[in-house]
Amino acid sequence: MIEVKNVSKEFVSPKKYPGLKGAIKGLFSNEKVAKVAVDDISFSIAKGEIVGYIGSNGAGKSTTIKMMTGILTPTRGECLVDGINPSKSRKKNAQNIGVVFGQRTQLWWDLPLSESYTILKEIYDIPDDLYASQMEFLNNVLELRDFFDKPVRTLSLGQRMRADLGAALLHNPKVLYLDEPTIGLDLVVKDNIRKAIKEINEKYQTTVILTTHDIGDIEELCSRIIIIDEGKKIYDGTLDHLKDTYGSKRKVVMEVKNTEAVKALDLVGALHISEENSNEACFTAELDEAKNLFTITFDKHRLQAPQILSAVMEVTEVTDIKLQETELAEIVKEIYHHGTTTGTAEAGGGN
Amino acid sequence: MLHTIKRYWRLYRVLIAQFFKVVMQSKGDFLMGLLGFFLTQASGILFLYLIFEQIPSLNGWTLDQLIFIYGFAQIPRGIDHLLTDNIWLVAWRLVINGEFDRYMLRPMNVFFQVIAEKIQPDALGELLIGSILVIISASKGVVVFDFAHVALFVVSVLAGALIYTSIKLFFAALAFWLKQSGPFLQVAYEMADFAKYPTEIYNKGIRFLITWVIPFAFVAYLPASYFLGKGGAGVIGVECLIAIVFWCVAYGVFNYGLKGYESAGN
Repeated sequence: MIEVKNVSKEFVSPKKYPGLKGAIKGLFSNEKVAKVAVDDISFSIAKGEIVGYIGSNGAGKSTTIKMMTGILTPTRGECLVDGINPSKSRKKNAQNIGVVFGQRTQLWWDLPLSESYTILKEIYDIPDDLYASQMEFLNNVLELRDFFDKPVRTLSLGQRMRADLGAALLHNPKVLYLDEPTIGLDLVVKDNIRKAIKEINEKYQTTVILTTHDIGDIEELCSRIIIIDEGKKIYDGTLDHLKDTYGSKRKVVMEVKNTEAVKALDLVGALHISEENSNEACFTAELDEAKNLFTITFDKHRLQAPQILSAVMEVTEVTDIKLQETELAEIVKEIYHHGTTTGTAEAGGGN
Repeated sequence: MLHTIKRYWRLYRVLIAQFFKVVMQSKGDFLMGLLGFFLTQASGILFLYLIFEQIPSLNGWTLDQLIFIYGFAQIPRGIDHLLTDNIWLVAWRLVINGEFDRYMLRPMNVFFQVIAEKIQPDALGELLIGSILVIISASKGVVVFDFAHVALFVVSVLAGALIYTSIKLFFAALAFWLKQSGPFLQVAYEMADFAKYPTEIYNKGIRFLITWVIPFAFVAYLPASYFLGKGGAGVIGVECLIAIVFWCVAYGVFNYGLKGYESAGN
């Protein structure tokens, strides 16, 4: 459905110098600075996929989305959305896509939502019967009825986001771009929005590309994620693979009766870790005596939680346990910080 | 083709209807606006009267002829002002703050979307004053009144409006490179004020500028003198030619600029 081939986008701006003197100098100099926002990115997305497009602020997410929607023209390379080049055939492409920018509404601020939808019906040339059935569906999924006659400016953020999502879907686009669709929303609304996106994807096989900083969005929606950093693609693959590769650590937290006994415990021996293997990467232990909490972070490929548990239970009674996967947020943070030195994992799935 | 025109015409009506709904939503503002509008127009007419009272003739033109030139100049200006006022926003705001994105996301011609978003009722003042002055001066017999002149009057007014639109569009399109081109558009647009009077009263530089560079003379003074019986109909032909060339250049630059539109960060 979407082909992005070696796409780059550079923004050229006049060079600026600091201070008043600098400003005057800038007036007369002809120097230009090119900022590479997106650097040679390629990927392809199949029909019906939900892909999370993530990266830190300024990584180039929005720029890529804007190139795929036809707002920006790539400096180099080519995008094809359903076989159409968005910057060359902007109008044709626009008919195929729906876009929601979380921080900016596409609706008419002062008009009731119903009026906005009427205009959109005309703009996208939607036949009456199709409009009626789509409205019915969207009403059920997004519950627009409660505020359908209110001016857009009086809607709460959650309502507005639902309204915007509905507006983007009115013409039943083949591709839906969501730029931070859950930004600033409370948990319940977030959940509703996610459910709606899922339902639409299932019903129409709509291809969805979403950028987000909310790890929950990704975990609940995306089968595949693409991570970019400083304009370059650094990961493209399934969520599971990402977790496997970067999130092999697990954490078990035990509430123990007798901290003294735990202190005396020789875990390395108890877990039968051979000498050459007993480096720190295998596990780290931490004892909180005040709360009687004993936390072990371990590599799930080399140790099993029951092993650890039974070793501890041999010396003291365990009253409570909690097992945690590494959170995706931490993995992503890690990747942002270090890049992927372990290789650009072109993992399965997706492609 | 016909289908496209029909569709755009329907869209235009829908969009403009929405614009009026928004405007009328606060009735107080609307009534105040209306009142202000009439006061502005009344003071405008008074001002004109005072000026023309001081200059019974100028460079060989009689007062009635001057009134015709002045009034005639208002009509194309008013038509353009009425229909394409939103172009100003492109120059001042929409490009620099990224609001222009919304035009790029819809399956409609971008220029059409820009102008279909607004009607400028202030322009009715220009049209009103212009028409009144033209009628007054015509009733005094200074205007040549036959079929050719009346037909060309309509042609000239439309071509003049297109020249206005083209000049506005050209300078607004510079915003795609400069981010904001409001000041340039402002300067260019105000050149039009020169063309309300016979251009012979200016020095050569200004005359050249408003005739051939930013050709407002062809919107007002030059065609007006034809209607006053001075000079041939050729001037209307040149006006139409200028209108077409300027439109093609301005629209080309605008479309070329769209490719370089940089949007704005979140």
